Amino acid sequence: MSEVTGAVARARLALPARLVEGGRAYFWVAAAIAVVPAISADPYFIHILILSMMHAALVSSWNLLTGYAGLFSFGHQAFFGLGAYVSALMAMRLGLSPWLTLFAGGVVAAGAGLLIALPCLRLRAPPYIAIATLGFAEICRFVATNLVGLTRGELGLWGIPEMTALTVPGVGTLSFTGQRVPYFYLMLGLWVAIMALLYRLIRSPFGLALKSVRDSQDAAESLGVDITRTKVAAFVISAFLAGLVGSFYAHYVLILTPSAVLSVGVMVEIVAMTLVGGLGTFLGPTLGAFTLTLMLEYLRALGEYRLLIYGALLIVIILFMPEGAVQRLLPRRARF
Amino acid sequence: MLDVQRLDVFYGDVQVVWDLSFSVQDGEIVTLLGANGAGKSTTLKTLSGLLRPRRGRILFDGVPLERLAAYEIVARGVAQVPEGRRLWPGMTVVENLLLGAYPRAARQGVEAALERVLTLFPALAERRRQLAGTLSGGEQQMVAIGRALMARPRLLMLDEPSLGLAPKIVERIFGVVQDIRRQGVTVLLVEQNAHLALSVADRAYLLETGRLVLSGAGRDLLADAEVRRAYLGI
Amino acid sequence: MIEQLFNGLVSGAVYALMASGLSLIWGTLKMLNFAHGEFYMLGGFGVYLGLLLAGFSPLLAVPLAMLGAGVVGIVAGRLVIHPLLDQPGWDVSPVIATLGLSILFQNLALHLWGERFKNIPYYIEGGVDLLGIRMAWQRVLIVAVTVVMIAVVVIALRRTWWGRALRATAQDRDAAMLAGINVYAVYLWTMGLAAALAALAAAMLAPIYSVNPWMGTALLLKAFIVCVLGGLGSLGGAILGGILLGTTESLTVILWSSEWKDVVAFVLLILVLWVRPAGLLGTREW
Repeated sequence: MSEVTGAVARARLALPARLVEGGRAYFWVAAAIAVVPAISADPYFIHILILSMMHAALVSSWNLLTGYAGLFSFGHQAFFGLGAYVSALMAMRLGLSPWLTLFAGGVVAAGAGLLIALPCLRLRAPPYIAIATLGFAEICRFVATNLVGLTRGELGLWGIPEMTALTVPGVGTLSFTGQRVPYFYLMLGLWVAIMALLYRLIRSPFGLALKSVRDSQDAAESLGVDITRTKVAAFVISAFLAGLVGSFYAHYVLILTPSAVLSVGVMVEIVAMTLVGGLGTFLGPTLGAFTLTLMLEYLRALGEYRLLIYGALLIVIILFMPEGAVQRLLPRRARF
Repeated sequence: MLDVQRLDVFYGDVQVVWDLSFSVQDGEIVTLLGANGAGKSTTLKTLSGLLRPRRGRILFDGVPLERLAAYEIVARGVAQVPEGRRLWPGMTVVENLLLGAYPRAARQGVEAALERVLTLFPALAERRRQLAGTLSGGEQQMVAIGRALMARPRLLMLDEPSLGLAPKIVERIFGVVQDIRRQGVTVLLVEQNAHLALSVADRAYLLETGRLVLSGAGRDLLADAEVRRAYLGI
Repeated sequence: MIEQLFNGLVSGAVYALMASGLSLIWGTLKMLNFAHGEFYMLGGFGVYLGLLLAGFSPLLAVPLAMLGAGVVGIVAGRLVIHPLLDQPGWDVSPVIATLGLSILFQNLALHLWGERFKNIPYYIEGGVDLLGIRMAWQRVLIVAVTVVMIAVVVIALRRTWWGRALRATAQDRDAAMLAGINVYAVYLWTMGLAAALAALAAAMLAPIYSVNPWMGTALLLKAFIVCVLGGLGSLGGAILGGILLGTTESLTVILWSSEWKDVVAFVLLILVLWVRPAGLLGTREW
């Protein structure tokens, strides 16, 4: 019996190391996903994949801040929600093209990232940063809920324009109205771009600086790392990416409420997904995002018990697999 | 009284104490010597239960201690004066001392024990209501020793009591250590100050990078040429 | 206006109770308890069950609710927190664990007792006329009970063996172990006490605001903020911070409107974090 359990414990996907080295696993996953619409026309499945990629991008952006830089942020929903609302409102009120406001949402979120980074600079202990960022996110939620004239609060901001049609030379005009597949490829492109950016960042000297700040601020400082710039950059970049994802969300789902995009519930999902996959690893958050999104959608039968499972899952993971599933299953070369 | 057999202690995957065996008889003063990082403090922490040995046994009057929790070990009569004093800075001298008698057995007669300690260290009597964090190094060391004595231990272990203290105070402390022995408490002393330790110890063990390299009577080691050269700077 | 200030005092008392527990846990275990709002909530449901289902009087139902919450705190601590104590990653793991507990408790309550708000009758009807306003006995009771309870806790911390052991564990855990203190037991007692305090707050407030599975969430953040205001780890700070927040909130209602009352807490938070992150009373040992 113990032989079996031993073998199970040691089981790892026996993938040739070269194929999954570093970020190359991503390439395969992305490629696999890219061909899905050609195989399956099931709009629900497409929708799930869009959500999965969205979560993966959002969660990876949080991972940069918390997993790599060690800045335990608990208010990431602020950036996501801000991006969503800004992009939606700018498109609705100012009549700008969603392609522009998509980017604008990210920029405004980045500004918010800068804003919250400043007080966090002098805070060392994780709980303080968690409380400060959570407080900031709650302020955002509160403002969004109460400025009913602007956001319609909990009544819901609907009527958000979809992405405007895109003319691709040689292919034709891609219309987003009422179509899932174009959104699919847009999100795929966004996700791949975001992961590529993160990959480069983490491999760069900046990435090293981040990890050094996480592991020992004093040591990092004594080695000449500019702590302030590193921390601020981490906040700004992760906020920008989250805002981008939020903007996409707004123009995809076409309705926003503060409790959907700015609540602590969003944060809890981010945390759960990251943990399932592995905090501070590159593949981890994506793995967790896909796993949880797919699992929870297809376990709709358990409907009401969904949150109960979330809660239990968090506890079980932190007790038994704190490094996340990635560390357990994938060969060494694939993690970093 | 204390019988340590083939102790192996690890910090994570790194082994810091190798196959260490030594003993302490009733009424002795035994000292563990060695340079920084030799494993002396680690050994003491293991004896007190703050660390668990990977292999080996620790027998106190025949009772194995190596699987017990720290607080259980104290209750059996083994108290440690930790390195760096480790007082509770926000509590007064009296509060620090009183807590030394936390084990149930020691709580009877705690008043008497407190008086005995304050008699041993008259300087503390004047400062009983002072916050421990505001005391000088020497005063803190006295409180730390007093606190350990409040547990009415049969074996008192001291981890580098001379660290960071002026020579005069160190002399006084070592005088107290001898008083303590005279009162019937066995002493295990860990020290970097080899000269001082060897002058009060009955027996000594010398550790080097986690291994026992030399042992013998205090006087003999004091006279040993190797020891004098390597550890006494002569 | 006096009425608002009185209400501020009442809120302050509740905040103080919540924050005290949080501060105790932070000071001793060095962790943020994200499930603290749920200890509060369980206390609320505890009195509900005791009063309305078992028909006990408040004199019995409230202490029972406190006891119940205390037990839950101890059990949760033993099962979920204790295994994480000596493992690496202590910075992050208890946050996740208590977050999971929080979600678990909320949804358990939801499944067991439903989402409808439960009303509880006042313990004492009527009020007293003082300083030109009518103060409901129930509200006066909240303040009185809080004062007594906190006094009891402070005295226990200063005078009893157990209380000193707790302070010692908070100030230097290894030294506490060497003095014969079972720090693991101290941790569990701390969680139990903190939970009981939160439960008391809910038990006293329940007749006024009713009981539902999410009642703890809003209070949790405020409690965190109060702790930061007063200085994480300082009991006196938690009390002072609680009163400060309660009073400031009621002042906001007087000067502005009740809508913006909740933002005050966050504004104060940002201010404190910017100017004096250590809080009013810093990390002074207690």
